[in-house]
Amino acid sequence: MLVLSRKCEQSVMLGDDIVVTVLGVEGDRVKLGIHAPRGVNILRHEIYRQLQDANAGAANHSRPSVQSIADALRGRSGQKAQVSPA
Amino acid sequence: MQMTETRAELVPAAAAADQIITFPNGLVGCESWRHFVLMTEQEEDLAVGVLECLDQPETRLMVTNPKLLFADYSVSLNDSERQLLDMPEGVEPVIYCTLSITSEGWLTANLLGPLVINPETRVAKQIVLADSGYSTRHPVVRVGA
Repeated sequence: MLVLSRKCEQSVMLGDDIVVTVLGVEGDRVKLGIHAPRGVNILRHEIYRQLQDANAGAANHSRPSVQSIADALRGRSGQKAQVSPA
Repeated sequence: MQMTETRAELVPAAAAADQIITFPNGLVGCESWRHFVLMTEQEEDLAVGVLECLDQPETRLMVTNPKLLFADYSVSLNDSERQLLDMPEGVEPVIYCTLSITSEGWLTANLLGPLVINPETRVAKQIVLADSGYSTRHPVVRVGA
């Protein structure tokens, strides 16, 4: 891991296309501004890992046949759930 | 995405190269998974399909249309995402969510990272609804382990 120290308003270049700027520091929180090309996902690391795990999990499970999953979904599909988080 | 054949097994929804769904940046954390074909069953009310990865044939993602399951699930694209997918306002994407099965036998849906597909070009992206509060493992139904 490359370790750099920056003050407020200073930046770091990642390659030619990504700029990370320290916008402010408040207590133990650092506010970062990030410029990156369209298409580059900028994600909090824990969210990235969560997505990565979920993608791997969706591809790599011992599963019953798709037909039985479809049946289970069809059995349930009469009751559409509300999914909005609290 | 159209369905073909009348067998109970999964068959390719379309075999032609122009039916390949392409994720230019892969999936989140899985950058090499870029080209997929949709395998579906011959059923009128598609509940579940499988996205088979052409770059890694062992990789097959179970997917569903989340709007069939969740009345108020909504995915809106920002301008940057619309430009990336070449979809102006008024063109609506096809949305799939991947499905997983927990060790306790629950089928779960990844509502946090839906797959968004331009239905005309079949260019796609996994977007992350980071501030939505949605989960990557939203329970759907028990299916047994």
